[in-house]
Amino acid sequence: MRRVAITPVRVAGAGLLAVALAMTLSAVVALIDGGGAAAGLTMAALVTASVGCALFFGSQVSPTTDSALAFASVAWSWLAVALAGALPFLFTGVVPWAHFDDAIFESVSGFTCTGSTILSDFDSVPQGLLFYRSMTQWLGGMGLVVLAVAVLPALGIGGLDLIASEAPGPTADRLSLRVRDTARRLWLLYGAVTCIVAMLLLAVGMSVFDAVTHAFTTIATGGYSPRAESIAHFDSVAIELVIIAGMLYAGANFSIHWHALRQGIGAYGRVSEIRWYLSLIAGAFMLLLWVNHGELEWFRNIRESLFYAVSLGSNTGFGSSNYVLWMPAAHLTLLILMLVGGMSGSTAGGMKVLRLQVVFRYSFRELMRARHPNAVIPIRLGRTTIEEQVASKVVGFVLLYLGLIVAGGVVLSGLGVDPVTAFSGSVSALGNVGPALGEAGPTSNFLVFPRAGRLVLMVMMALGRLELFPAMLMLVASLRGLNRMHRQREDTKSP
Amino acid sequence: MTPKSPIRAVVPGYAQRLTAWMLRQSALLLRQLSKGRIESATGVTVGAVWVLIAPLFFACGVIDWLDGGPDALAFLASGLTIQLLGFSILRFSKFPSTLPIAQLFTAFVSGALAALVAATVAHLVTGVAPTIDVALVEASATVTGTNATTVEPESLSLGMTLFRSFGQWLAAAAMIVVLVRILPHLGVGGLDADGGVATRSARRLAPRSSSTMVRLLTLYMGLTILLAIAYFSAGMPLVDSVIHSLTTVSSGGFSSYSGSIGAFESPAIEWVAIVGMITAGTSLPLMFRALRRGDLHRFVRSIEFRTYIGLIVIAVVAVLAWSDKWPTVNNLRETLFWVTSAISTTGYVASNPTLVSYGSEALLLVLMVIGGMSASVAGGFKVMRFMVLGRYIGRELRRSIHPSAVEKIHLGRSSIGEVALARIIGELFLATMVILASVLLFTADGLNFEAAFSFAISSLSNVGFAFGLGGPNEHLRALGAVGHLSGALLMLIGRVSVTPILVSLGGIGEPVQREVRRWRLTRHERSVR
Repeated sequence: MRRVAITPVRVAGAGLLAVALAMTLSAVVALIDGGGAAAGLTMAALVTASVGCALFFGSQVSPTTDSALAFASVAWSWLAVALAGALPFLFTGVVPWAHFDDAIFESVSGFTCTGSTILSDFDSVPQGLLFYRSMTQWLGGMGLVVLAVAVLPALGIGGLDLIASEAPGPTADRLSLRVRDTARRLWLLYGAVTCIVAMLLLAVGMSVFDAVTHAFTTIATGGYSPRAESIAHFDSVAIELVIIAGMLYAGANFSIHWHALRQGIGAYGRVSEIRWYLSLIAGAFMLLLWVNHGELEWFRNIRESLFYAVSLGSNTGFGSSNYVLWMPAAHLTLLILMLVGGMSGSTAGGMKVLRLQVVFRYSFRELMRARHPNAVIPIRLGRTTIEEQVASKVVGFVLLYLGLIVAGGVVLSGLGVDPVTAFSGSVSALGNVGPALGEAGPTSNFLVFPRAGRLVLMVMMALGRLELFPAMLMLVASLRGLNRMHRQREDTKSP
Repeated sequence: MTPKSPIRAVVPGYAQRLTAWMLRQSALLLRQLSKGRIESATGVTVGAVWVLIAPLFFACGVIDWLDGGPDALAFLASGLTIQLLGFSILRFSKFPSTLPIAQLFTAFVSGALAALVAATVAHLVTGVAPTIDVALVEASATVTGTNATTVEPESLSLGMTLFRSFGQWLAAAAMIVVLVRILPHLGVGGLDADGGVATRSARRLAPRSSSTMVRLLTLYMGLTILLAIAYFSAGMPLVDSVIHSLTTVSSGGFSSYSGSIGAFESPAIEWVAIVGMITAGTSLPLMFRALRRGDLHRFVRSIEFRTYIGLIVIAVVAVLAWSDKWPTVNNLRETLFWVTSAISTTGYVASNPTLVSYGSEALLLVLMVIGGMSASVAGGFKVMRFMVLGRYIGRELRRSIHPSAVEKIHLGRSSIGEVALARIIGELFLATMVILASVLLFTADGLNFEAAFSFAISSLSNVGFAFGLGGPNEHLRALGAVGHLSGALLMLIGRVSVTPILVSLGGIGEPVQREVRRWRLTRHERSVR
């Protein structure tokens, strides 16, 4: 059999195989639990695995690679995985076939580590499926940190391009040039931290099922919870503290974590982004404390403000209460946190703290230049200087990001959603947070958006997760890839 | 070429000479007065603004006296004070021989502040505003051309109403002077915002900027008179038509009725207002060149004008599509009114915005942010800058496939320099930060989220009406002192753009910083010894 030499197909196949594995695991969980859904999950696993095998073994890696092809691989494999991920919801009958788009929404929200849900009645959903749902986020986060670094180079793609596409900006810190090693380390770290969080959660009184699922979604900064009330269900300070620590960890750059493990805690001090990240969350926490002062009883105020500052600052989206009832000034704080998100190189979404840093430096440089028109002022982050090219890339990204938020907000309100819900939903979806403001708060679900609106949100989640540029270039690149295939065929014919 | 008709040649020519004479006389007066000892551009600017604004006080005082209103004496007295103060400041200061750019920024901002102070005084002495924060925000709305107010226009005396609308008109006229004379040196906002595309076209009007200024001002006055006639013939009372033409052409938006244009309940007047607002958002140099030769094709050739009109059309279609009503002529007029009022940042109201659908509300807010064309008197971020930003994003997208590609950004036939680009982007980011900060203040002062956000955007773009409360103009009334002060600052920032204000603040901050650095250095030296 002649294999088609297109990398995106092969990558997508590999992704599907991984998802099939997750489905099988969930089927096992469903069997142990005995709540049904095992059959549906197995069927979904079979379908996904067969398609995955066909794609994976039917294709091979292209002999030449360029950044366009790499972009296409990332984007198409995410798409394939998100589509396949919807199958369990349909096969188990939790989402009716007529609403297949809702199943895709749930799956996209899972794999993009967003955590917006369309499930309203959690009691009727089998445990196996809830496990699978958390697993999608964990896999998504893993993909985010690792897929680009480990799997793709294994397929023979220039991985460094992809690191740039997944976490643009600081191309300097590439951990090590041996990408595959790096990826293995990150994977190890990711898995180990998940285990630690799960064990801690177990220790502070969660059941095994809850501990594992919450550990999955905490480290992936996803925010799916098998409980309808999210973390508020447990009403335990200890659990909240563990989750806060987990979210804070997961919202920071994993490569820095690795350095810190190797070289001691001082590695954190050398990175300016982490100072910004922590001070942003701390600032938001103070602001929330001040705004909620007098509204909430003081201990509850500290508890909830801290929880939400971290939950939204790392773009996880767990809920410990209903912040929609808070004062409007608190909403603004939360919205800014959602917009900025976590650090680059983490599983968190959003614009990323690093870009915020660049934007700040960029705008203040303009102020300085207005005063001293002939001054040459470099943009510095900590002790490193950012090249103009990189700075303009970041600025272009931020502009596009803000533009998409506005566009999404206008379209959603055009579909009849009130503007606060529409714009915050748009911020939340593009930043892969989960809950929004207005009617789509942490205790609500995304069924408040009309069906077409959910489609828009779905696209925005995917765009946000793919860091916009790869997604935007996906079409261009795939067209070009087709063109190249065509040309290759011509070439093989002619001699 | 067909010969010009005598009227077309004589009337504009005469008007132009008149404007030129007036400008020359005031410049002469200022030059003669400012022969003091202290070299200070700020002093000259503040004095000039006060000396030139005082006649407005006298005129409004006299009109109020003729009308039998209560504010005549207050106007005359405060006018006299301001005149004297202005004279004395001018007397002691002198235009400096060299002018560093930082001082030019400071002078520009202090000129705006001087006008703000004068208008605040007027509001305080006439008793329109009970407290200083209300007076400040009213004055700010007057000076920046924002239709946000806490008072019922019907309760004002004729003198005060005229003062407020003339204030908006004069402020916009001053903006034209600033656009042509000052902003090209600063490189922010206005004509130079697009890297000189519009500036060059403005300079092409006439090689010397003073004659450009004269021509644009003449056009501005001519449009005002035309609009007043149009309003009058559409059935507005004479005084109202003068007031409304002043605030339409300056994209200010103050009205003599609390129902704004809607109070007349006349479709004809609304249509006139729509046309007037579209004109106010159009680039003045473009209009001048097109009208001088009767060459209307220039409008079509201007890519920014096409985009501006395109935006209006798209917005109207979208708003109509999102409302459940049939697109009758009435609905079309209503929609067009909202859209033009938002994009030209005039802020007139013809019907209750709470009836507007959610989607239209979002769209109107976006239009407010976009604002009118560059080199127009409208506020907002300007159409051209957004076009430049769109092209910038496109370039960065292409660059991520071809990392080493070098590409210039073109707009029409001209290319935009990297420095101008960076300036535009910096302005946008700074404005976003300012909006977020003021939303925080507004929400802390008791507005709900939607009202705070829309009012912040509306104030920064100098529009005035906003959403989220019962009526379009309830926001200022619902706010306390903190909200009033931040609203006033926001409007001012919107009018003179962020950079000048922050740079002038830096004028205070930089010496302090220098001192701190010196102090730290000496301490370091001491410790080394």
